Amino acid sequence: MSEVNFRSHQAANKRKTFFLLASFGALMWLVVYAALTYMGAGTAGIVPIAVGLSLISVWGSYYASDKLVLTMTGARQIQESDNPRLFALIQEVCLASGLPMPKVAIVEDNAPNAFATGRNPEHALIAFTTGILDSLDRDELQGVIAHEMAHVGNRDTLVSAVAATTAGAIAIFSDFLMRMMWFGGGRRDREGGNNPIALILSLVILILAPVAAMLLKAAISRRREALADATAVSFTRNPTGLRKALEVLQSDSTVVSHASNAVAHLYIESPLDSGKVSKLFATHPPLSERIAILKSMESGA
Amino acid sequence: MNTTWIVLGALALLVVFGITQYNKLIKLNISVDEAFAQIEVQLKRRSDLIPNLVETVKGYASHEKEAFEKVVSARAKATSATGIHDVAAADGMLTQALRGLLAVAEAYPDLKASANFLQLQEELATTENKVAFSRQFYNDSVRSLNQSVKTFPSNFFAGFAKVNEREFYEVEDPQDRNAPKVQF
Repeated sequence: MSEVNFRSHQAANKRKTFFLLASFGALMWLVVYAALTYMGAGTAGIVPIAVGLSLISVWGSYYASDKLVLTMTGARQIQESDNPRLFALIQEVCLASGLPMPKVAIVEDNAPNAFATGRNPEHALIAFTTGILDSLDRDELQGVIAHEMAHVGNRDTLVSAVAATTAGAIAIFSDFLMRMMWFGGGRRDREGGNNPIALILSLVILILAPVAAMLLKAAISRRREALADATAVSFTRNPTGLRKALEVLQSDSTVVSHASNAVAHLYIESPLDSGKVSKLFATHPPLSERIAILKSMESGA
Repeated sequence: MNTTWIVLGALALLVVFGITQYNKLIKLNISVDEAFAQIEVQLKRRSDLIPNLVETVKGYASHEKEAFEKVVSARAKATSATGIHDVAAADGMLTQALRGLLAVAEAYPDLKASANFLQLQEELATTENKVAFSRQFYNDSVRSLNQSVKTFPSNFFAGFAKVNEREFYEVEDPQDRNAPKVQF
């Protein structure tokens, strides 16, 4: 009947991610163009350096993400005997999704939260805070696990690594150019034939590009969260469980003590104090919005 | 000379296309087999839990013969069933019988409070969910296979790959499909 089901949500979110990634490409191109106009052809050589630096830093962490994140968040890997009930629930979701069993970790923290990482489904790791394990019932926890496994299945670590690389490259690139402007400003004289409006525009682009890149990165992260919610429902066919879990998270205001900006996008709920980040820079859609979408699936499916 | 190359190129592309379609169908077919094997694994796990459950309940409610017999005979049928239709039917019957047995258990507070029973309940709950999810995954796999067998252009290669439409795993009781949870 209606279009309000998880399949249409999945498709729409995938389209939006693609569009956002394409915007990244366009932004990159715009920055290079601006640099060429403003600084002359010599600056083009910085592009591979910026991309290279960013690649090394981000992709190094992407490759070792399962191990790195463990130390960054203070998570401790556990075995089946440590928590048979949690493992049974994860096995259920694995059966529903056809994904291999991930590694499981626990973060000793009263704030209810969870995250997934790992470069591919075979190296996936999902982690839960002790707070979330204590405060959710079976169905709700199943919804949360499905959301995390959806991140694994949708390869969100990869998507966010691509986003982070591009954003990083743009930031490094603009930084280089800004420095060159201070030290090599005289260069402009030789390009005297250029249109002054194009020059000012290029300058504005160079200044705003890193901010735009941050915004795009956050927008991609928000899309992936929404997609993971829809995919989670396709696994469990039970939007109610995840919706109730999100409501529990909403009513709880504890903040994960180990979280930082670097790992914020990994969590099911933004682990940072929401008052501090404006909506445009947020890595997650507002919980109330996600709950509303899940409610529409409950009545529409 | 030029046209020969173009024709050869087009032919090569066609061959590559055909191979991809063929492989896709074969892979889908294998994934349906795997999904079905997974259902059987989970059904087996459930069967293995039953003797223990029956013994535990017997300890507190030995005179509820009817409920035990239903479970035991349904379990016997389920273990001997082969072929998707029979397996699905036996699965549905066993789910029903188990529900009956657990309803009986409701009337015995001592039983309900026993640690052994609580643990069995949790194990049964997760096994029921696993059965339900493996059914769902199987049906999803069947759906994507059937879609490929029926739609253009993969339908051309279905006969060649000897891949046919597959049967959905339908449980008799419609309640089972919608609710992958056990209520105690």
